[in-house]
Amino acid sequence: MKNDLRERRERDGDSQADLAAAVDVTRQSINAIERGRYDPSLELAFKLARQYDCAIEDIFDPDSHD
Amino acid sequence: MTEANRSTKHRIATRRRYKRLMFGCLAVGIVGLLIGSFLDQYLIGVLIYWAGFFGMLGVWQFSSVTLYDERDTAIERKASDYTLSVFAFVLVLGAPGGIMLEEGGVVTLPAAFDGAMWMLVAVYAVFGVVYTVLRNRT
Repeated sequence: MKNDLRERRERDGDSQADLAAAVDVTRQSINAIERGRYDPSLELAFKLARQYDCAIEDIFDPDSHD
Repeated sequence: MTEANRSTKHRIATRRRYKRLMFGCLAVGIVGLLIGSFLDQYLIGVLIYWAGFFGMLGVWQFSSVTLYDERDTAIERKASDYTLSVFAFVLVLGAPGGIMLEEGGVVTLPAAFDGAMWMLVAVYAVFGVVYTVLRNRT
């Protein structure tokens, strides 16, 4: 599942570790999500969407795959 | 630095500290076991090892930050699935195959073979019980 998490994070000037701490996961998980190697749970997707003040589908595109 | 940034930096530093503490506990346990066995103090070595292991578990379970998250859980689940699949093939093909080859006089299997096969049977029996309980609860 593709996402634009990296673009949003870099736009805000955050590191992967910053975002990981903000949504309470490890930095490796943020890295894996950004690279499309791990699809987050619904709960984590909500946290990420809340972090960027948008809807889940604004970040994640369920119809596309890497 | 904003309050949010300070909080984030604090959490990152705390996570790093707890991870070091967790792996430090395990390292002390393993080193204690090795030194204990080297000095023929097996009981002390095992006690240090257990203390280190339970220390690691304690840090993991009671730390205020997330050291393992849902991705780690997903990886563990997948790894367990693959491991069980590999050993299922070993048991399904190996046990009857070994017995047939030994009965036919083709090979003489060591006693460890029987032990290993019974161990696998026990693993899958436990898996079956746990699976059934979880299935009924979910």
